[in-house]
Amino acid sequence: MADIIRDINLNNPTQRQYWQTFLSELDIDNFNEKELIGIEKIVGLFDGERLVGTGAIAGKVLKYIGVCDRGATSKGARFNQVMTTFENYMATLGRFHHFVFTKPRYIASFKHIGFGVLAESSLGAILEKGLPDVHSFIRQLPQMGNQTSRIAAVVVNANPFTRGHRYLIEKAATENDFVYVFVVAQDVSLFTTAERQMLVSKGVADLKNVVVVSGGDYMVSYLTFPSYFIHDETTVIDYQTTLDARLFKNIIAPARHITRRYVGSEPLSETTAHYNQTLAREFDDSIELTIVPRLNSQRQVVSARAVREAIATDNRQVWTEMVPETTALFISENITALQTRIRKGQKIDGN
Amino acid sequence: MEIKKTAMAGTLESSDVQIMLSQGSDGITFDLVSDVAKQFDDAIKATITAVLALYGVDNAEVKVVDKGALDMVIKARAMTAVQRALDLADEPNWEVM
Repeated sequence: MADIIRDINLNNPTQRQYWQTFLSELDIDNFNEKELIGIEKIVGLFDGERLVGTGAIAGKVLKYIGVCDRGATSKGARFNQVMTTFENYMATLGRFHHFVFTKPRYIASFKHIGFGVLAESSLGAILEKGLPDVHSFIRQLPQMGNQTSRIAAVVVNANPFTRGHRYLIEKAATENDFVYVFVVAQDVSLFTTAERQMLVSKGVADLKNVVVVSGGDYMVSYLTFPSYFIHDETTVIDYQTTLDARLFKNIIAPARHITRRYVGSEPLSETTAHYNQTLAREFDDSIELTIVPRLNSQRQVVSARAVREAIATDNRQVWTEMVPETTALFISENITALQTRIRKGQKIDGN
Repeated sequence: MEIKKTAMAGTLESSDVQIMLSQGSDGITFDLVSDVAKQFDDAIKATITAVLALYGVDNAEVKVVDKGALDMVIKARAMTAVQRALDLADEPNWEVM
């Protein structure tokens, strides 16, 4: 009998239990809220009443893909059917580009249906399929210098752009021929992506060898990498930071002859400190990592988070000390709107 | 004719082919995955290129995942994909058939 595709609704406790049991048998058993939030659709492939395959969509990400081949007509047929369902569903919504985060042993199955590997480690892998892909992203990056130039990169969320960011970028600009500043594109911060990008551009406008570009889908916050297939919570951050580092080192950097990367030292956040360690380990000899000591204002380490807290508490003096004039002007002009966003629930204690 | 929007047709199931068309600027470029690529790589590309030519499409980025589709299946999927990509899905060009 042909297998039938049906939606699975997690709000229905019976369906949810059945779905989780099925995935647990396939060794996927992390169902915490952080992973489940954002899922917009789950489908199940049923052989009669028996669930034999499933997968979920969260934005551009496919996750919780699991298939049982017992009783199938041919190996891989159910996997292909589940993936077809998703891809056709997304195509009707005009979405033709998606990512999969999975265990290394499933890389081959995804490659077989047109996915390409962006980064992999012993813990997990990121793959993508469709267009525009990483090659499209690289093609639209401006080209500066040539193989003999010294080219550096800085990745910032800049929520918002502070004197600390300025200090880091300026140092990179002084020590290199050209600098790419990648601004994280995910729109989940107090300052919108457009605002962050604009404030970075204004804040470094006088540095002629610096170009500010969007990080696109490829320099995102590594903390958002799904980890639903990882059992041990303590290895999650290692898995996330390693893939981030390898994607940068193996795909982004070589495409624009980037041989150096600048990051701020991290006295405040354990996660970011871990990130810096991972970059150092992964970059090895191919990319020179410079960890720049963080800038101090009169009272404390300059940090975007402290600026956001100052906005929340209306402490003008603190943010004025920490941000350049371009950012200060923007905050002053938009203080009510920013405070309203915070009141409406925008988190300010993340990145 | 220029591709108006990215479009897809077909499935990943056995004996079928999935074809995705997107705007291109450098002729017809292919990214093809197939178990039988060694034997039929050129034939698959030729079939799709011929369909694109019937619609006057000279530039396109084509992604193909072939699961052992026969030539007529490839042709049918390519036609559906190109009609979607040209916004002609509701007014098929019968002459090209």
